[in-house]
Amino acid sequence: MNFKIVWMDFIYSVKGWYRSRGGMFWSLAFPVILILLFGAIFSGVGSSKYTLYIQDQDQTEMSKGFNATLNSTKLFNINIVKTDVNVTSFIKEKNIKSLIVIPKGFEQTIKNSFMNPSARVNLSFYFDPSEQTTTQVIRSVISSILQEMNKNLSQGRTIIGVSEISTITENFNFIDFFLPGMIGFTIMQGAIYGSIERNTKYRKDGILRKLLTTPITRSEWILAKMLFMMFLAALTTALITIIGILVFGMTVNITPLAIIILIATSFLFSGMGMLIGRFVKEEETADTAAGAISFPMMFLAGTFFPLEQMPQFLQTIAHILPLYYVNEGLRNSMIYMNQTESLINGAVVIIFAAVFFISGVLLTKWKED
Amino acid sequence: MIEQRFKCPNCGEIASFYGDPGEQTVVSCAACNSKGRITIPTSGQNNNYAIEVSHLTKVYGDLTAVNDISFSVKTGEIFAFLGPNGAGKTTTVEMIESIREPTAGSIKLLGRDIKTQFNDVKEKIGILPQEFHSFERLTVRETLVYFSNLYKKKADVDEIIKSLDLTSHKNMLYRNLSGGLKQRVGVAISLVNDPEIIFLDEPTTGLDPKARREVWGVIAGLHKKGKTVFLTTHYMEEAEYLADHIAVIFKGKIIAEGTLEDLIRNYGKSSTLHIKKCKNAAEVIEMLKQEGYDEVSSEGNGDIAIKIDYKERVLEILSHLRHDCIEYESLDIRRSNLEEVFLRLTGSKLTEDKQ
Repeated sequence: MNFKIVWMDFIYSVKGWYRSRGGMFWSLAFPVILILLFGAIFSGVGSSKYTLYIQDQDQTEMSKGFNATLNSTKLFNINIVKTDVNVTSFIKEKNIKSLIVIPKGFEQTIKNSFMNPSARVNLSFYFDPSEQTTTQVIRSVISSILQEMNKNLSQGRTIIGVSEISTITENFNFIDFFLPGMIGFTIMQGAIYGSIERNTKYRKDGILRKLLTTPITRSEWILAKMLFMMFLAALTTALITIIGILVFGMTVNITPLAIIILIATSFLFSGMGMLIGRFVKEEETADTAAGAISFPMMFLAGTFFPLEQMPQFLQTIAHILPLYYVNEGLRNSMIYMNQTESLINGAVVIIFAAVFFISGVLLTKWKED
Repeated sequence: MIEQRFKCPNCGEIASFYGDPGEQTVVSCAACNSKGRITIPTSGQNNNYAIEVSHLTKVYGDLTAVNDISFSVKTGEIFAFLGPNGAGKTTTVEMIESIREPTAGSIKLLGRDIKTQFNDVKEKIGILPQEFHSFERLTVRETLVYFSNLYKKKADVDEIIKSLDLTSHKNMLYRNLSGGLKQRVGVAISLVNDPEIIFLDEPTTGLDPKARREVWGVIAGLHKKGKTVFLTTHYMEEAEYLADHIAVIFKGKIIAEGTLEDLIRNYGKSSTLHIKKCKNAAEVIEMLKQEGYDEVSSEGNGDIAIKIDYKERVLEILSHLRHDCIEYESLDIRRSNLEEVFLRLTGSKLTEDKQ
C-alpha cells in the first residue's frame, strides 16, 4: 500500500469536489437549506412571541387575573375570542395553533374549593401537534402559572388543571429529531452517488481502464476515495451541527460512537453505490436507480417524521432499512444520549456496512469482460 | 548464448532460439513445421520486438471477437492496427494492455509475459484508452501531475506540456477543453512516465480534420523520439500518414500485414494514369488498346484512365500521345491507397464517415 498515492488521490478528489458547484450544493448547501426550511416550518422559528387565543367564558375577576398573568410573561400575543364563538369551528376556520378556554364557573369553583377539597376546574388547551416548540413553551408557561396559583390557593393541591386535546409524548423538538436524520441522509446521498459516479462514469470515460494500466492498486484507490467520503461526512456533520446549535439552540453531542456510526455509514452507502453501479451500468440509469432506492428509504427510515406516525406495516419495513439504524443511532448518540440504544443501532450499521462494502468491493472490478 | 525470438512467416507462431551472436542456423516452426534460416543478431541487436502477440483469441459466447491472431511490433516503430469498427481492434489492444483477459494466446511486452509480469511493465508503458475523458475538474497540469505521481519514473510534466503545445491551456479545467485538446491531453497523460511503448486506441476518432492533424503531429513527434507506438485506427489516411507497419484486421482476423508499400504492392491495383480533357478521346482509347493496354477506360468529359503496371509505361504512353499529336489539358498518376487495398481484401469500404 503506497500511502503517498492514497493521500495524493485524496487531495485531488477534494480539489475536484471544491470546484464542482453541484457537488458543493448537494453536500453542503442542500442539507443546510433543508435544515433551515424544515426547522422553520415545524419549529415556529422566526417569532420571538407566540400567538395565543383565549376564550374567557367565565368573565370574572379571577379569570381576568389569569389572562393578565399570561400577558405579563410578555411571551404571547394574546387574542381574546368572544364567548359566543364555537371554539372548535373557530380553530378550524382560522387555522388557530393554540387556544385556551377558561370555562364558566372558573372563579366559583376556586371559591368552592376552600370548602370542598375535591372541587376542581380544568382549562382546555387546544394545540396543533406539529407546532411542537410553541406547544412546549405555552404548556410550560401555563403549567408554571397554574402551579403558582394552586400553591397560593391551596398549598399545592391541584384545583386548576389543564385538559389537553392531544397528548404529546415526545420530550424533544422536531429539530432534535430532524437534524441527525439530515446528517445520515446527506452522507447516504454523497456516498451512493459518489460511488456510482466512480463505477459508471469513470468506467465509461476510460478512467478505470487507464488506472488499471498504471501502478496504483485498486485498494489504494478505494482507500483514497473512502478517505474523501469521510472528509465529506465530517464536513457535512460539522456544518449541520453548527446550524443546529447556532440557529436552533440545540444541544448536540459529537460522541465517539456517533463518529463510528458516521464512518460506517460512509462505507455502507459507498458499498451500496458500488453494487448499484455493478448491475446498472449506464450512468444515468444508475442515478435513477440510486434515487429509486434512496428516496423511499429516506421517508421510510424516519428521516423527516417519527416512525410512530406511520402505519404499522411501514414501521416493519423501516426495521429492515439500513438508514433507519443510521438515523436512530445518530439520534440516540448525538441528541437523546441513550447510549445503550445507540450501541445497538451502531452495531447494526456496522454489520450492514461490512456486508455492503465487502460485497461491493468483491463484485466490482476494473477489468473488462 | 543469447535468446532470439523469431516469428514464423507461414503461421505467425513466435518461438525462441538460443545461439551465439552472428550464428546462422536452420530452425523449424513448432506449430506448422515449416523450416527457415535465422541469424542470431550481434550484441545490441537482439530483443528488438517491443510487442509479441501469439495466437491471441477472445471469445464472447458465440462471437469470436479476435480469432487466433499473431503479430510483432518492432522497437521504435509506429504500428497501426487498421480496421473498421467492430473488427476487434480495441479488444486486441485491451488484451495487450491487460484490461481484458484473453481466451487463448500469449502476449509479451518488452520480453515479459503479461499474464505473470504485467506489474513489471506498467512503469514502461503509456496508454490512451478509447474515448478517454479525464477528471473534469482538474486543470491540464494537475491532471498530468496526478497521473505522473502514480509512477516511480516521472517525465518532466512541464516539458510534456511544452512539447505537446499545451502551455497556453495548462491552467484550464479539462472539462472546458475542445475535443482536440482533450485528446492531446490524453496523449500527454500517456507520456508522464516516459514510457517505452505507447498505446493509442483510436486517438483521433470524432475529431475534426484540423484537430486530427494536430494529434498526428504529436504522434509523429513520439516516433522521432524513438518511442514504440501501437496505434489503432479506422482512418486509412492516419495509418498511411503515420505507420511504419500496418496490420489490417477484419472480423477478428489479420487479413494483411506489412509496410504501406508492401500492402499496396501485394493487394492494391497498380497506379493509374489519368489524361484530362483529351481531344479525340475515343480514338486515343482505341489506339492505346491496340498498343496492348488492356485496362483503358473513358471517364467522360474527354478524361481517360489507364492502368499501368510499371513506371516506364508512362513514358511509352506519353511518346504515343506526342507521336500522334494528341492534345490534352493535363496528366496525373494516382497511386493505389489503403482504401483500395481494403476494398480488394474484404469487398467492403473501410470507413463510411470519411472526414
